[in-house]
Amino acid sequence: MEPELLEAELVLPAYFSFKKIQIYEKYPKGQSSAKRFKHLKQIIQAENFQNYPPDEPNYVNIESPPSMHPSKRICDITGYEAPYHDPRTKLRYANAGVFKVIRSLSNDYVQRYLALRNAAIVLR
Amino acid sequence: MPFVSQIQRQTDYGLFPSATPIVIDNGASSFRIGWAGEDDPRVIFRNIVQRPRHKATGETVTVVGDHDPALMKYFDCTRSGPRSAFDSNVVYQFEIMEYIFDFGFDRLGANGPEIDHPVLITECVCNPVYSRSKMAELLFETYGVPSVAFGVDAAFSYKYNQQLGICARDGLAISPGFTTTHVIPFVDGEAVYKGACRTNVGGYHVTDYFKQLLSLKHPHHMTRFTWEKVEDLKMEHCYIAPDYALETQLFQKGTKEAEDKTRCWQLPWVPPVVEEGPSEEELARRAAIRERQGQRLREMAEAKRSSRINELENELRGLAFLLKQLEQVGEEDVPSFLSETGYTSKQEIESAHAKATQSLRKAKGEPKADQVESDEKIDPSADEKFSLLNVPDNMLSAEQLKEKKRLNFLKTTTEGRQRAKQKRMEEELERERKNREDEEKRLANPGLYLEQLHVKYKELSEKVEQRKRLKTNGGNTNGNNLSGGVGRGERLNAAQRERMRLLTTAAFDRGKGEDTFGAKDEDWQLYKLMSKDNDDDDDEHDPEEAELTRISSRLQEIDPTFIPKAESGTSQQVVEVPKFRPLTKEDFQVILGVERFRCPEILFNPNLVGIDQAGMDEMAGVSIRRLSCDSKDVEDRLTQSILITGGSCLFPGISERLEAGIRMIRPCGSPIRVVRASDPVLDAWHGASMYASALQFPSQTFTRMDYYEKGEDWLRRYQVRYSL
Repeated sequence: MEPELLEAELVLPAYFSFKKIQIYEKYPKGQSSAKRFKHLKQIIQAENFQNYPPDEPNYVNIESPPSMHPSKRICDITGYEAPYHDPRTKLRYANAGVFKVIRSLSNDYVQRYLALRNAAIVLR
Repeated sequence: MPFVSQIQRQTDYGLFPSATPIVIDNGASSFRIGWAGEDDPRVIFRNIVQRPRHKATGETVTVVGDHDPALMKYFDCTRSGPRSAFDSNVVYQFEIMEYIFDFGFDRLGANGPEIDHPVLITECVCNPVYSRSKMAELLFETYGVPSVAFGVDAAFSYKYNQQLGICARDGLAISPGFTTTHVIPFVDGEAVYKGACRTNVGGYHVTDYFKQLLSLKHPHHMTRFTWEKVEDLKMEHCYIAPDYALETQLFQKGTKEAEDKTRCWQLPWVPPVVEEGPSEEELARRAAIRERQGQRLREMAEAKRSSRINELENELRGLAFLLKQLEQVGEEDVPSFLSETGYTSKQEIESAHAKATQSLRKAKGEPKADQVESDEKIDPSADEKFSLLNVPDNMLSAEQLKEKKRLNFLKTTTEGRQRAKQKRMEEELERERKNREDEEKRLANPGLYLEQLHVKYKELSEKVEQRKRLKTNGGNTNGNNLSGGVGRGERLNAAQRERMRLLTTAAFDRGKGEDTFGAKDEDWQLYKLMSKDNDDDDDEHDPEEAELTRISSRLQEIDPTFIPKAESGTSQQVVEVPKFRPLTKEDFQVILGVERFRCPEILFNPNLVGIDQAGMDEMAGVSIRRLSCDSKDVEDRLTQSILITGGSCLFPGISERLEAGIRMIRPCGSPIRVVRASDPVLDAWHGASMYASALQFPSQTFTRMDYYEKGEDWLRRYQVRYSL
């Protein structure tokens, strides 16, 4: 190890005196950690919130409902208010100038713009 | 205000009695750890772990938090980006969490056999019991923590600000955090989770949106928009528009106000180095060197010439002497005399003498006279020289016949040469005449002349161009072959298309009947035809082209502004290659206009990033509705003390916007007061520290024994009382 690394103590040591179980004992090498832990979705599923009274707050039912306000439509490129919608690219645009721009965009960029508002075509 | 981590190792760990709790604010963006009762956390770092490979040794190491980027050069980070223990706002990766704790406790100075202090750690609202139990397990079993308490960061912040008198006992805590935004109502000083609500939008989404927008707008500078840089930009420039639509209209109209609100980020840009010619001295030096070399060469040539002249003079003297001697020698003694000298006859000596004189003259530098003389010499002698030709063949001997044949050949070639010379002269004269005429015309009316010349040039160049195009492009030239949009056939030149045709017919013929290819010799000619790549008449010089070059040179002479068109072959290429203009300073500017308020706008309109949930202002209404208070009195009290806390409430203008938004959803005349926490980022820790230092704190903790005895269902319902 380079001296400046040692001086900065950048690298986390493997052994700590204050730990009862060291990390290498708990997680032996060769196992990918990604599979070991449930993702939030799996955690929520395993919690079985449907079995509990609905008025009891839990992680799922405290989520906000969809907005009651009419959704704002803004130009995907400029952020201005967008009265128009291009049926070909599905992008919203503010004026003729922006329309020219979106028609010159490659499909890759169109999809990336759509992905910004979660409207891209996702192939599974 | 860029994020600054604070990771110096503390030395006073041993001074704290084991009853002093350790307070941890485990936020999704940063981890803060310190001692209960103190004013500020001791250690703060970004809640991320990287596991890069150390380049020198090749082993995988663990690096927690943000570090000096200069030190990261020793690591190969290509395969591991920064990882977080959080999925949304819930801890799920406990291996990463353990690295974080290791680092945190280590920097706090822990050195005993275990962490012998109660721990208060923050979690999200309604944390799933899986995550909560794993966290407790980790703290109990790995670190030997005696007791643990879990609380919600926004609630601690509210309580802390209540203590400071910023907000009341009843109120709403609105906390836009890193990954989520929460609204928690407080009634009688206690958080009521029944009325809590969460929208999955936070600072992370703002930064991500910002980053994506920038990299879509400036694809060339994509690498500049690192997460950290964009985060800094966000903190520095983003603000919340009082009314999004009005604000965009300002920009759309391009008003002065909008101009003032536009920020510009100049990326490092070095103006391209202007090619500077060599300096005066350098030029002079080079010229001197060239001069010296030329001088040397000239001297060498001179020396060579003089030596050659010397040689020739000697030879001449010798030959003259020989001739003189020969005169004295008798007629019959000539052969014997000559046999000694190496010459066979007197004529030979004479011719050698003449040749030597001629070359001497040439060497001395009078070639022209010589040439003229020799030319002239030929003329009078021609008739007698070729006299043999006029004699009929049958009168000549075999030797003479041979001589005649030779002379015949000689005559034709000389005549040919003379004819060519004549023609050249005539051409020269013609050109001279034309030039003279031109000059006269020009002098008569320079303007008109120039105009005519230009017109002529244009016509001719078009004609030549057309011909060339035809040659390369076959018949379908409608003038648009330069503008792109050419089909398959149009791209090929005539020769290539011919080859194509031959190949297809050959392939077509192959299909039917017997294959007789090669039976006839002519079949093989096909290959010759096919391999022919270019037109035969490629280097044919037509008069038009010659005229064109003449005119263009003439134009260049008299019109300084004239620029001859490039050769059509190259001009075509120039058109096809997109012209690259030199990059300017403006190309390295990132203009932040609408983006400044478009990005944080997603906190109020999550549907801008495709999240179909209520925004911050609406959430307050949702929260009050969920609480279903019995009297309007309570609702008014709630809206009278709205506290905003959390990292993402640092955007300027957020309080005003929130107040306006809530005013829209509340009944007319409701009292509304929105206040910002004293320190939106650290107040959660401050509140937790204050809470943990309270005398009743131990009653809110649970031990390892409790955890195992009471079971999971108890842990699920576990909730600290904030009002002690």
